[in-house]
This record gives sequence, C-alpha cells and structure tokens, in this order.
Amino acid sequence: MAQIVAAALASHAPLITGRPEVSKPEQRDRLYAGFHELRRRFAAARPDLIVMLVNDHLQNFPYSNMPAFCIGLAKAYDAPSPGGAGLMRIPPRKVAGAPEVGLALLESGLAAGFDFAYSYEIESWDELSVPLHFLEPEGKLPVMPVYTNCGAPPLPTPRRCHAVGGFVGGFIRSRPAAERIALVATGGISHWVGTPETGRINPEFDHRVLDHIARGDVEPLLDLTWADIERDAGNGGQEIRNWIALLGAVPGWKGEVLAYEPVAEWITGCATVWVHQ
Amino acid sequence: MTMPISYALNKVLTAIARQHVLKEHLTDADLAGHDLTEAERAALKAGDVTSLYHLGANPYLIRRVFRARFRI
Repeated sequence: MAQIVAAALASHAPLITGRPEVSKPEQRDRLYAGFHELRRRFAAARPDLIVMLVNDHLQNFPYSNMPAFCIGLAKAYDAPSPGGAGLMRIPPRKVAGAPEVGLALLESGLAAGFDFAYSYEIESWDELSVPLHFLEPEGKLPVMPVYTNCGAPPLPTPRRCHAVGGFVGGFIRSRPAAERIALVATGGISHWVGTPETGRINPEFDHRVLDHIARGDVEPLLDLTWADIERDAGNGGQEIRNWIALLGAVPGWKGEVLAYEPVAEWITGCATVWVHQ
Repeated sequence: MTMPISYALNKVLTAIARQHVLKEHLTDADLAGHDLTEAERAALKAGDVTSLYHLGANPYLIRRVFRARFRI
C-alpha cells in the first residue's frame, strides 16, 4: 500500500529567492535554515512522488473559468516558467508531472462527490517553484499538484478544504502500489499583496495558526471565515487553505515549526513546518 | 463577501499579466476593445493601484502588472 512518508508546510513568495539581499541577514539565515532542515528530513523520507497542495495567482485560471479545486494532469510543470524565472531568480526548469496519479484522483473524487476540475497545462509561479527550489533542488521527483482557489474570492471554506485534503489523503493510502508519497502545502501565512495594505504582516495571527498546527488542534482553523482571514492575515493569508487541506490529509498529525520569520522585505509571514505523526 | 469584483478590470489585467511585462500605467491601446467604466479606464491609465483595488480589480493582478507602483 502507498504511504505518506513526509508532510511539510512552507510559505511561498517570489522574493524569498528573488530578492534575498533586501532581507535582514539574521531573518534570512533562520528561514533558509528552516528550509534546509525541511529538505534534509524530506530527503531522508525517500519519497518517490510529491503531492503538492497549492494555489494559482491568476497566472493560469482566469475570471472566465475559475475552479475551486483543480488537479494538475500535465506531463510536466514549469517551475519556474521562463517568465517567472527572472523575478524569482531561479533558473527556468521543468519538473515531471504525474498525470496517471492525477487522473486516478480525479476519477476517484468524482465517484465520491469531490468534483475536481482538471488542467493539462499549468504555468506555475512561486507556489511550486520556490518550495521545490529548496526541497528538491535536483528536480528529479514527479509532482502532482492540486490547486485550490485562494486568490479570487469567493473562495471554498477552510472546512471544505480540510475535507478535500482528507479525501486526497485517503486516496493516497488506498493506492495499491508501494508508493512513498510526500505531501507539501505551500502559501501563507499572513501577507497583504497588491492591496492598499501591501507589505503588512500580522505575526500575532501567524503565531496563533502555528500554535494550532503544533498542537494538532485544527478545528478552530476550520471555522475561520474569508472575512476573518482577510482582516487578520490579508488576502495572501487566504492561502492557509492549502495548509488546512494538508492537515486534513494526515488526521492527528502535528506540526513542528522549524522556522518562522515575518519578513517585511518579502512582504510575507514565512514559515517552514514539518508535520509528523 | 463584501469585496467588489470587476470582471472587465480583471480581464484587462489578466491579458497584460500574461505578457510578463511591468507597467507604470496602461495606454489606450492596452484598453482597446475592453468594456470599462470611465472610473476603471482612468484608474488603469493612471496606474492608480488603490483605486483599482476599490473598483474590484484582483490584488494579485494589480501587483503583477503595476509592481513598480508599490513601495516594496
């Protein structure tokens, strides 16, 4: 049977790699150390596939067709694309997809009442590229992303995201093959992007979320409304839906916060969290 | 949900964002063929990121296109 051998939460922001020099060296060093420790544990778990719970930034899904949950069925993903590479200062590269696994998840979901959308072509932005740059720099492992709408309200509720994550976790565990699957959720925590409050970070909210995750106390996060998150964590904070989905996939698991830094220069509350039994 | 959504604004900004170019402001040529209100046209042509937000443009698209307008 397939196993979930690793689970990680990691913030994504293009400036984490794109403009390291503008951040305070001590903050940057602590956060990068968190990413490096995540990478060490990730490699030790020897996954052979990464299921990524992520969100689009209006790079792919337009307002003419906006999926709440979308499975990537591409053969490969730009991570980053040539267009995004300059901003993120990560050389453009392709990482392999896992369309057979994605299709199986899609069909399984439709049969169970989880009506995912799907896409055969996705141009990734920082949601895949930045965390993979740290976690899997060689780019050898295939990736199967599930995109949740975190950026174009109205958004799915955190409780629904948790249920979708739970379905994805159950799907993985039910696969007959002896696959070793890693789960990685990216995004968040608090940040205001493109709004009049751009640059604001709310460490109080971030610590509250991280404390809940560390205790495995997910329930209060599921009751957060769009308005709660928008007020306390900004439009970027809506990306905690990805984290909540991952926690749904591994019920009872707890987070170990490896790093948290509210990096003003990267306009994001940045964390790396190892999630374990 | 209290946030306004302007499909017309987001359609223009999506088209520009996909070109991977940064703008200080948009031109009449950028706006040609789009069904925009006067206030929307004015905000796009001025690169007025605050007005665009309040008029219902998606903040990720505002940032992507008018990145140069932000302090950080």
